[in-house]
Amino acid sequence: MEINPLSIILVKSDSKGDRMLFRYPHATNNVRDSSQCTRRKNPYSLTISEDLLQSLPCPTSNISNGNLTGFSDEVLSTLFAVKPELCESKFELKVNNVRFVGHPTLLPSRGLKEVNPSKLFNVVFALPAQASHSVVKCYYDLSKRLGIALRHEEKRCGFLSEEIKIMVSTHDEVAARYLVSKKLYFIRSEEESDCDESPYELILQKSLLARDLKSVFNSLCTSGVINIMINKWIQVSFCLPQKVHQSHKKGFIMNPEIIDRCLDSLRPYHGLLLLLEPHDLLDSLPTDSSPALRRLIQMYNPLKSLQTLAADSDLALTQVFQLTGHLVYWAKATIIYPLCENNVYVVSPDAVLTAQLLDAFSEEFPGLCLLQVISEFSLPTSISQKLNPLSQSQQQTQVVKIIIWLLKNHLLLQLHTYVQYMPTVHGRITMETKSSDDPSPSGLTENDHSWGMNDTPKGTPNDSKTDIQLPIDKESGIFEYQSDTFPIASDDMLLMDRLCRLGYFTGGHHLEEIMYLENIRRSQLLQILDKFRDVLITCESEDPAIALFYSQLNSY
Amino acid sequence: MATSAECADERGQEGPIRCIFFSEFHHIAGPKITCQVPDNFVSKDIFDNVSVYIIPKAQLQRSTITVTLKEFKILGFPVRIDNKKYARNAFYFNLCFVCDAEARTVHYEPVVKKMSEFLIALEIENCFLSASGDKTRLAQMLQHVMLDLNMHKMCTLTEGTMTSHLKVVRQAPEPKPILDHQVPIFLEGREAFQSDQWDLTTQQVLPYIDGFNHVARIAAEADVENNLVKSCVQNLVYYGVVTLIPIFQYSNVYATTPKLKKLAEDVELQDKCVAYASKSLRQPAYLRDIYRMYASMTHGSSMRDLCQRLNPQNLRINERRLVQFGLIEGLIRRIYKYPIHIPSNSTEEGRTNPIYKYFTGAFNLDEICCCIGQSVAQIEEIVERDPNVVMLWK
Repeated sequence: MEINPLSIILVKSDSKGDRMLFRYPHATNNVRDSSQCTRRKNPYSLTISEDLLQSLPCPTSNISNGNLTGFSDEVLSTLFAVKPELCESKFELKVNNVRFVGHPTLLPSRGLKEVNPSKLFNVVFALPAQASHSVVKCYYDLSKRLGIALRHEEKRCGFLSEEIKIMVSTHDEVAARYLVSKKLYFIRSEEESDCDESPYELILQKSLLARDLKSVFNSLCTSGVINIMINKWIQVSFCLPQKVHQSHKKGFIMNPEIIDRCLDSLRPYHGLLLLLEPHDLLDSLPTDSSPALRRLIQMYNPLKSLQTLAADSDLALTQVFQLTGHLVYWAKATIIYPLCENNVYVVSPDAVLTAQLLDAFSEEFPGLCLLQVISEFSLPTSISQKLNPLSQSQQQTQVVKIIIWLLKNHLLLQLHTYVQYMPTVHGRITMETKSSDDPSPSGLTENDHSWGMNDTPKGTPNDSKTDIQLPIDKESGIFEYQSDTFPIASDDMLLMDRLCRLGYFTGGHHLEEIMYLENIRRSQLLQILDKFRDVLITCESEDPAIALFYSQLNSY
Repeated sequence: MATSAECADERGQEGPIRCIFFSEFHHIAGPKITCQVPDNFVSKDIFDNVSVYIIPKAQLQRSTITVTLKEFKILGFPVRIDNKKYARNAFYFNLCFVCDAEARTVHYEPVVKKMSEFLIALEIENCFLSASGDKTRLAQMLQHVMLDLNMHKMCTLTEGTMTSHLKVVRQAPEPKPILDHQVPIFLEGREAFQSDQWDLTTQQVLPYIDGFNHVARIAAEADVENNLVKSCVQNLVYYGVVTLIPIFQYSNVYATTPKLKKLAEDVELQDKCVAYASKSLRQPAYLRDIYRMYASMTHGSSMRDLCQRLNPQNLRINERRLVQFGLIEGLIRRIYKYPIHIPSNSTEEGRTNPIYKYFTGAFNLDEICCCIGQSVAQIEEIVERDPNVVMLWK
């Protein structure tokens, strides 16, 4: 996997030179495996013995079994103890197929007794080189956070200096013991005594910081969420979105950029769906969390739109948007269209029904089989279709609960109806380009039923003055539309005109959005769609903002 | 197409080489840049900050090392030549490419390595690098490499009797394995690819790629082994010559994607679509009919239903090509049917019929049909008969 770190490394540099303090995992062999360099790719290829230049040992990989290999402590410490000019900025180094990223942090000298002002440390993450830019950026951010926390602790109580002292003395102790043992047993070969005792095991026992770094590494590999107290005092929270969002979908990588794009297309009519129970979420929040967030979670309901949520929790809409973005980033919530009777759902194209999901479902809803339930969504199904008017209210809440569960697990996808206005057989394009060789409906303008823009009665409430003064251009072919079978009431025409003018019928707005923005009823809109069905083409597809959370739809 | 654009977006753009420099370890002065084009692009101060990555410890010799600074990235391949004749018994040098900080440099790595090998050979041959303090010839060479690689993505180096060819190879992600039921289709006119530049197997396979034959069928008709056809097609996919679409059948179900909107806006796409999906070019179909046909594609209705309802023949639409175009451009996507056997209560047939082993939810009908050689209707009948098998459309 390209997201997991290979190793976490702590290096310091001060007046006594640079030193590797701690690395985890540390069970690495520093001896280069010569076989991996010379192994031929093709068993039938000839080895050209004369080609001396090519046969020089050339390491191509520094990763074996997901571990960092081929770098000794000394090499790494020289690489990461950067020049002071490069401090306090992003450090990125790629060696063969390993990428190192860190934030070298300078320590301000404490008191007057420090002679050398350039004292720095660097928490470095080793990643596979294929890790994408955004993953590298997240790791850099984490290194920076750790750096800031450590510097703060150093300032407060000299925590880092103490820890460095422990680590250095442990290193020296082990090295000294090694020397002694070498003197005692001359016969022992170097490698043997090397793997005899690793200083890092001892450091883990003695140093609090080493244990903290180890737990950082482990939580990066398991959950992607870090919540530790450095020195049991200062909290560092971090979330690796690429990892956190993977829990529900194998092989799907959610980059922060995708989340940003989703938040850009967030609208007040969208809703929030918490992925865990609200009270669990409230419990998991740190003590100093924003009261606005707590209020929002207390008012949360999947039936509410963000706008309603904002009103209920007495927050500004922009703040609700920000909190939503925050919850989505931390994989605590996802974006949906608020549940209502007319919502149409279908099986999500990337739904993978694992055995765990099946078990979790039957645990949540005893007596029901996920496969059977979800296969009922093979054809687009609305909630109202699922709700039997005769059934008990208890059963109805069960249906809603099931749909919420399926949405949480991204097994369902909501379909919306989009409308495309096509006045001519050649689409929406201007007449000048195409009209020369074909009869366009504009030829029918002389008909009695036709209705022109200039016929608009003055002072129509829903038409602004500026609209009326607009010259009629040929493009707005809508006003010439007429039906052969029945006359169209003029207020329908007016509504149609308004909706067209506002650009709702360009395939980019779904019915719910038009209803929300124009404050009209669904039935009104459906009537328009029916009366103008010759020029309004409807199609069903997913909301692109929400589809960002589905792996296979992402590429569209 | 969108995915590749996204990838580039994620990983940074492929940028040009801004500078090439040659640095060596001077036995008195330490690491320094001896030759650089354009001159003084990497200043002495900056070089001193990163010299530890350019002339590194012995353990890191012959590794590709990339260091990213605020303004740019330096990519190098440090080398050491051991010989008694040098001042410290060894000659250390590193040929480095400099690119923009956000640019990708992975595709330059083999080039840097190969050029370093060339310089090693020159040095061993006639002390090209160490002999004189005059580096004009080397500067010319670096200039030449930088210009040619930026312009043409390739370059030929000649020095004395030695020649080396450098080429920047685009690094594309590994194409996915090809499956039996997939249909390869040309992305552009096939005429351009009929040349003899392809290997013999590909030449044998090419005539059968028509956008309707699936891989297993191509293998049978071209009389080529199935796995060979697959690797052939995989290769063609890698070079962007063909793409893969599902088999066309009238029982297929398609759904629109948000991209369909583009068809109403983009005049160029409209013209392409009308030309592609019309039955005859003399009497092209109307865009509105085409659009309506696409828009009617939804989870419930199969191609057969659509054809009965809209009658594409009368609308001068070739529905098979209409679907092909929609799939290639991503206007529509196929809805696959996955039969799943509910494991808890298996029937007698469930245990005996070998087809049940495909009813796990991992195989769609196309795949199953291809594997066992039965028609979709036959399998659908089995699913229909057994209430313990559900059909999932996704």
